[in-house]
Amino acid sequence: MKCLLIASESAEVLFYWTDPEFQQNVQQQYGASQEEGHELPAFEDSISTLFAPIIISCITMVDRLGDSYASFTTENNHIYVLHQFDECLYIAVNGDGDEDEDDLRRKIYVMKKMIEVLFGMVTLSGPLLRKELRPQDTEQRARLWKQLQSLLETYGHLRENDQSFLVEAVERLIHPTLCEQCIEFLERRLVQQLNSSGERAGEEVMHAFILVHTKLLAFYSSRNASTLVTSDLLTLIIMAQNMYPSSTDLEDTGPEDAESTSGSGPDVFYTPEPSPSEGDSDSSSGSNKLKKVNDIPVFEFVDPDIQMAEDSLQTLRVPPPDPSTPQRVFLEVSLKEGLYPMMPHSMYCLPLWPGITLVLLTKIPNNGLAMSIYVYLEAFAKLEKRLRDGHDGSAAMRDLRGKLDKFIKALGPSDIQSVPLLNVWTEFKSRAFAKGGPGFTKDLLPWCKNMKTQLCGIFRQCFLTDSGSVDAPRHLSPGLQERAQTLVQEKLMDWKEFLLVKSKRNITMFPGLIHFICVDRSTGQMIAPSLNITEHNTSELGKGPVAHFIKRKVWGLVNTTRSYLQKGYSTVTLRDGDFYFCYFLWFENETGFKLDAMDLPVLPDDSAPIGMLSWDYYSRNHQGEVVRCFELLTIHLGIIPTEIILQHCRQLASKLWEPSRNPLL
Amino acid sequence: MAEQQLDLRRCSYFFLYDGSKVRQEEDPTREGICYFYPEETPIDKQELLCGQLAGAVRCVSELSSSPAHVVRLRKNKFAVRIKDDFLWALGYSVDVPTVSVVNSWISSSACLFLQWFCSAKLPAEQRDFGCSMGSTIDSTNVDPLLLLKAALILQTCQRCPLVLAGCILFRGRVVSTQMTPALTRKVMVQESETFVKYQRHGSASSSRSLDEPVSLVPVFLTTSELLYLQSTAADKKNKLPIRKPRLSRTLSDTLSTDSEPSDPGSSQSSLKNSCSPDNSFNPAEPSNSFLPNGKSEEGQDDSLYHSFHTNDGDVTDNSVSSLGPEENCINGETGGDCELVVLDLGEAGGGTEEPRDGGLRRSSDHTLPSCGTGAPDTQQQQGDSLVPMTLYLHRVKGLVLALLVEMRFLNDAAAMEEVYHSSLAALNGLEAHLRSVTPGPPGAQGPYIFAHFDSIQSTLTSNLSGRPGAAHERPFVRATSLLHSHFCNTETLQEAIIRNAGAAVYGTRSVAQETYFIQHGGSVRNSGIPNHQDSAFSLPTKARHRLLKHGVNLL
Repeated sequence: MKCLLIASESAEVLFYWTDPEFQQNVQQQYGASQEEGHELPAFEDSISTLFAPIIISCITMVDRLGDSYASFTTENNHIYVLHQFDECLYIAVNGDGDEDEDDLRRKIYVMKKMIEVLFGMVTLSGPLLRKELRPQDTEQRARLWKQLQSLLETYGHLRENDQSFLVEAVERLIHPTLCEQCIEFLERRLVQQLNSSGERAGEEVMHAFILVHTKLLAFYSSRNASTLVTSDLLTLIIMAQNMYPSSTDLEDTGPEDAESTSGSGPDVFYTPEPSPSEGDSDSSSGSNKLKKVNDIPVFEFVDPDIQMAEDSLQTLRVPPPDPSTPQRVFLEVSLKEGLYPMMPHSMYCLPLWPGITLVLLTKIPNNGLAMSIYVYLEAFAKLEKRLRDGHDGSAAMRDLRGKLDKFIKALGPSDIQSVPLLNVWTEFKSRAFAKGGPGFTKDLLPWCKNMKTQLCGIFRQCFLTDSGSVDAPRHLSPGLQERAQTLVQEKLMDWKEFLLVKSKRNITMFPGLIHFICVDRSTGQMIAPSLNITEHNTSELGKGPVAHFIKRKVWGLVNTTRSYLQKGYSTVTLRDGDFYFCYFLWFENETGFKLDAMDLPVLPDDSAPIGMLSWDYYSRNHQGEVVRCFELLTIHLGIIPTEIILQHCRQLASKLWEPSRNPLL
Repeated sequence: MAEQQLDLRRCSYFFLYDGSKVRQEEDPTREGICYFYPEETPIDKQELLCGQLAGAVRCVSELSSSPAHVVRLRKNKFAVRIKDDFLWALGYSVDVPTVSVVNSWISSSACLFLQWFCSAKLPAEQRDFGCSMGSTIDSTNVDPLLLLKAALILQTCQRCPLVLAGCILFRGRVVSTQMTPALTRKVMVQESETFVKYQRHGSASSSRSLDEPVSLVPVFLTTSELLYLQSTAADKKNKLPIRKPRLSRTLSDTLSTDSEPSDPGSSQSSLKNSCSPDNSFNPAEPSNSFLPNGKSEEGQDDSLYHSFHTNDGDVTDNSVSSLGPEENCINGETGGDCELVVLDLGEAGGGTEEPRDGGLRRSSDHTLPSCGTGAPDTQQQQGDSLVPMTLYLHRVKGLVLALLVEMRFLNDAAAMEEVYHSSLAALNGLEAHLRSVTPGPPGAQGPYIFAHFDSIQSTLTSNLSGRPGAAHERPFVRATSLLHSHFCNTETLQEAIIRNAGAAVYGTRSVAQETYFIQHGGSVRNSGIPNHQDSAFSLPTKARHRLLKHGVNLL
């Protein structure tokens, strides 16, 4: 029984997602209080009515007590987690016991992140975001909510099944040669060709990457592109997965496709045939091992078409009206001039084969406008803060005055409606700058807010509404997209089956080591053995009790270590049942020198979840120097002596990143 | 003591709200507030908290078809109970582990409130561990004879037939008790509450002052608690001279003359007569005392009473079940509910070793006579009623003699005189001795800190100083509180090492025990990267070795 609800301060539902069970529960409750003979009211109304007392009480508590609800727990272990972002109150509910408070809080933060990627700077204005999330037109509203619901379900599915979303780091396919070839191909053949084509309608491809399921095969960024931050990349992978779901995860293979995909045997990990006695104690991480993996013949290729059809996510998916229309996304861009969050891009998701996707990210022509708007928004936000603190903020605003005049003037002749902005700006100026006027006092605060709303409105017109006319396409032409697709398909044709299998099997293991996850937080990448394969019988890709057991342990361990990390503990070892778990977090400088353990902050229970999607917990400075953060999680059999376990851990920590130092990102 | 009283207010709010009083729009919320702690909270804040919490909790409970029991705010967390129109809420600061909030609620608060009228304060020193993880122990080197002396005082008092059982507390810790851990804890709470009131108002408002250091406080026992006390009291009086544990034997030389005059037969029968549960319960009496706002209308008393004592009142059920050692050792959840503080007799820093450690261990067992014997009636009966009793408190500086006596004691001047005078000299002597054993200076504790909780005996053994401000202990306490929560939530977890930049703490548990250990002065430089030479990973071995000296065997 799950639910996620976004409400405005006036208890208006801005978005909801429920699973069928929750929906049924609400309908029952609402039905019970209705007189007979009446039809059930729309579900949206029911849920709004039922949640209204909590929402209103929450707002009251903030206003009058300066405190607000973080969570409720009931005796039957239903959990309600609440979090307010500006004017939006998020409520996440779980009644299954399969998510704890931290999971729900993470879901809330990820939802917020996805909304930011989809709506950009419109999220900075409460009233506009409210309108955007709750379009007047019910059909439009249904379509938008379905899209968001589907994204949330995709995320939930990945969070439950994909290790890279468990630890919030991108997983790469470990095949250095092919990776390098692909990157070269993307650069020399694909991106160059696209960017020199006349059919690109002013767009410029900045990033191109190939996904095999959720794993990254190759990633290329053009030279003038800024780095794509991990949280954005992860969000884009969620979106790509949402468009072209790959249901080959461990959990997905239902009993009905047992013949084609799953067996009943244990299929979690494989005890490596080559024992470490072959002379190389570090063989597991050495490249010879990797070759060995590659040499394993492909026994079976799962036809993902079958699974796609059975994927439940598909039923919710709203196909884009025109497949050639890209998805507008707002991503962080860091330039010499500074950091610009939420800059508009177009995202093209081109399916190569089921499970393999090419993603192109382009910069759109009027990108500069977004940067200007951001600069002004930031200026007004700063002014607001200064005024609120009782300072004078006039100096910065005087500098900006001329620029903003010009900016608004330049908008005039375009088809953007800039009159309201001009009016508010005129009013603002008369209050702020006119002699004898009120000047820069707190009275100006509502006008600052008004200006921000107007600027967000311009942003919305430019980048969110589909105002592009049919005769002047504003994106890569369908033909060009098709050519890109074909090019990469040709390149990877011989590899595709290998890649699909490879994406499920990566790394060999030490004896006694059941599983590990190693994360390089500075690059946002992770390495882990896949959880759904067996060494001896590759036809058994399905599930077994052991697989589920181990998977649950891994997921549980990540949650546990995060809760310790939240309280400042960077090393954790646990003897739990038959297993021995280890978690290590450490820092190195650019040259690989291990830094002394740092005092990590002790965070409150309701702090933003530790990870990358909601905020980058791991980015730290050490004496003014950027440091690299690493994490290692291991699961061993409990009977292995602790000394040996620690030796394994040490080897993994020091050697794991070596063989794969290919220029991937 | 006073310093502890002021400092250790981990419970931030406690209130009882009656929603039936606020039905109409125009009904002021304050009408529904039956009790609010702290009483000095401005009324509009009381109204806000009661009104909002009641509304939101009801809404959630309806949505989930199950009563909400924990509400977390950013700055506070509340354990709540709903029964009909009543809402009980107990608020803690957010750093208390939620598992402790729930446990402590279930185990004690509501009962405590009912039976011991309105005390929201929990015993001293529990702040750092969470309510369910007990208090700390003096690291002083106490002569075991002092403990025996305390036990002797209690036994002497029991010669008065109106005295049921007692305990002796010193600076918030148990020196000796004849009661169950749960009951002892209630006495400790009541005692500290009375002491605070006494200090504030010059005299305990709700008690009749007999003599300066003595107060008499009306309290209530459940019949099962009473029956248990009666049975063990009788048991003790009968059997003490016959079945002597090894330690009693050494004591018996001094005891024999003292205990001779008591007549077990007569005391037993008089107890039976006066404390029969059937005729003693009067619902009006508890309500008078537990609703200090003076609102005690008839119907309300009834529902309050019923809310916790008739239906499947899980609250009392749990509280009573914690008397049974079996439950405690099997169920980790409630394992920490009823621990007691005993004066640790172990060596402070482990520096000097003395051969008598084994004997000392046993002597601390002796302070808890009820442990391990099994409660005769762990099954809570439906409709377990409350029996009015009196708590006799005799304070000599930091030392308190607390006796559960029958109501008739109040009117029996001779008995009062006798109890007072028979114990006075001994109490003074004991106080002087205990006081002279000054705790070592902070930080001079030696190379390690440990805490060992035994859920069968409900004892916590530790070499923590117990001073709230001891800075060097804080990392240990913080880590222990996290690990304890983790152990409570994960049945299969056996041991854990957690480390931050400053300290590594080791925790291990078996069915009946939880032990935590920190070693000071480990490796200073450490990057956190796995390293098998890291001193953090030798903690289990060190703990095993060090704790043997404290009589703790980590197998």
